[in-house]
Amino acid sequence: MLDFMQMIASGIAVGSTYALMGIAMVIIYKTSEVPNFAQGEMALISSFFAFMLLDQYGLPYHLAFAAALIFSILLGFFLEFSILRRAKEPNVLGLIVITIGIEMILLGLVSWKFGADPKSMPFPISPWESFAIGNVFVSQLEMLTLVVALIIMVILFVFLRYSKLGVAMKATQQNHIAARIMGIRTNRIMMITWGISSFVGCVAGLLIAPTTMQPFMMWDPLLKGFAAAVMGGMTSLPGAVVAAYLLGIIENLFGGYVSIEFKSAVAFAIIVLVLCIKPSGLFARHYIKKV
Amino acid sequence: MKKTGFWVLAAIVAMVYGLSFNVMAEEGLTGTEIHIGQWGPQTGPAAPWGAVARGTGDYFKWINAQGGIHGRKIVYHMFDDAYNPAKTMAGVKELQEGTGIFAWACGVGTSPGLAVRDYIRERKIPWVGPATGSSHWITPPDRNLFAVYPLYYIEAKALVRLGVEEMGFKRVAIAYLNDDYGKNGLEAARKELIAHGKKLVAKVPVELKDQDMKPHVMKLRQSKADMVLLWVGPVHAARLVGTAKAMKFAPQFMSTSTCSDFPLMMHITKGLFQGVITASFAEMPDSDLPLMQKYKKEVYEKFAAKDERWGVFYYAGILFVEPLVEALKKAGRDLTREKLIFELEKLKGFRGIGGELSYDIYNPKNGYKSRGGMREIFLVQCMEGGKAKKLTDWMRIQYP
Repeated sequence: MLDFMQMIASGIAVGSTYALMGIAMVIIYKTSEVPNFAQGEMALISSFFAFMLLDQYGLPYHLAFAAALIFSILLGFFLEFSILRRAKEPNVLGLIVITIGIEMILLGLVSWKFGADPKSMPFPISPWESFAIGNVFVSQLEMLTLVVALIIMVILFVFLRYSKLGVAMKATQQNHIAARIMGIRTNRIMMITWGISSFVGCVAGLLIAPTTMQPFMMWDPLLKGFAAAVMGGMTSLPGAVVAAYLLGIIENLFGGYVSIEFKSAVAFAIIVLVLCIKPSGLFARHYIKKV
Repeated sequence: MKKTGFWVLAAIVAMVYGLSFNVMAEEGLTGTEIHIGQWGPQTGPAAPWGAVARGTGDYFKWINAQGGIHGRKIVYHMFDDAYNPAKTMAGVKELQEGTGIFAWACGVGTSPGLAVRDYIRERKIPWVGPATGSSHWITPPDRNLFAVYPLYYIEAKALVRLGVEEMGFKRVAIAYLNDDYGKNGLEAARKELIAHGKKLVAKVPVELKDQDMKPHVMKLRQSKADMVLLWVGPVHAARLVGTAKAMKFAPQFMSTSTCSDFPLMMHITKGLFQGVITASFAEMPDSDLPLMQKYKKEVYEKFAAKDERWGVFYYAGILFVEPLVEALKKAGRDLTREKLIFELEKLKGFRGIGGELSYDIYNPKNGYKSRGGMREIFLVQCMEGGKAKKLTDWMRIQYP
């Protein structure tokens, strides 16, 4: 029973990171219907930017992290404005390929600038100190990640539901042309969407980096976040969040009781299963577009 | 007429000589160049081991700066395979068939090495010092393949002996990378424990892309192990040690030489690697061995990139090619692949910055003696600040 509780706690802890990456992917998908495969590396470069400020320039934590978050927003703006928007006669496949290209470029940049050796991000909380609830352990960093993820989810939910900008984003997603006719500057909405998504990804990156930092560190969270987004429904923020926590728990239970070797493959088995049984995801409404 | 005849004769002689020169010349060898190839992960999860290939490159630069070997400069071709065997195969083929490589050096990783082993063997190209201690290189041996790295098998044996015989641990578990490298350690530990009347209390595989180590540590904790062998890469070792700390699980961790770069390990574990015991096949970074000092001063300080670190992976790139360079020197100006193999086979009791190394006439029935390379290791413990405390001197372990 103790092991079971530990697996659930570990699943929730790791699920918070997946949730942040899942949210970041869903935000862009909701407005453009493009899965952004550069999401992980956007978070990566922002995290390394924070590392550089801390390690080389000796900035205090709050300034370095704030600068990294601002950098991530500007990066999102820049990528949308200077690359995505310039795509001629864009279709979904073409845009996906562009995001993969951006991913490779950003990964190359980080590897070139910071080298391949693993690094350790200075962080005010130790990733290896833990709270014990009975005999169940949760690290301080995991607890912080959980709290931050929940706060971001609530803020995003309120923002998208009640703010003017959030409603404009929704309108852009539902009908790009109609939104433009109604006076919404859809290009600007797209740019802001990329900025917000990049910000959320950066938060995830900053919370992953204290464990070990290296150029490939975002691959796994991105893939798991994507799996969660698909599982929850690519257009549903709450869906992606719930699915991310489910995925974390399923992975841990599978690793504990079935096979640790195939623990990581569970996420992809789930993607295949969901796409076969309920292509719109577990929590998204299935829309049929009228022609 | 006489003049025309002379020119025709001269042309025929030139053609015949030219042809014979082309026929006789070795691939990857000219009058002024020796082409040596190597792969190594500069990106991806195994990238910390990428320093091996960079160390070799700087060593060759140093040799070239001194005039090369018998008037020939070493042209070094290194590519990033990201520890991906498919990329290793593609890169080796491209370089071999495109540029032409005289000999292959090092090459990080058991799986990447295994992917190209048959290809290199079929073309009878010398390959010296795979940067991995897998027993695959000598069972069965290849005539052209000379191992340098001591076997993981003897590392595991030495660690288990220390733990069980001298430190009195009763329950030994292992977390191993689920590939040939990890399975080598697993097999050796299992056999050595059987010899001590024990068995592994947990065998936990780690996949290359796994990041969350809680399930793995839970399995280790469930086993109530008091000693855990870590046959994984540096990042996974760091995560396992850290996660164990977070889960209040504190066995004696021991690891392979691949995690013996203590300054790096201490840095990425934020000091948690202190106390971990590893095997080592090379002198420590602060060794006062004259040859180590020389390499540090003349190779590292003059040729290494600005942000390169004088760590064990870096100078292992020098260590793995020391026998190759020695044999190239001994082979003389009339170098051929056959002569290189002949000179390698003559190396007996050779010592550079690692343990003693010997080869012998090719013997398919005794790969360890004829192609096994280094047979000595020593054990070290990570201390405060990433300093190493030698627990043993260089020691020989019987194989198998």
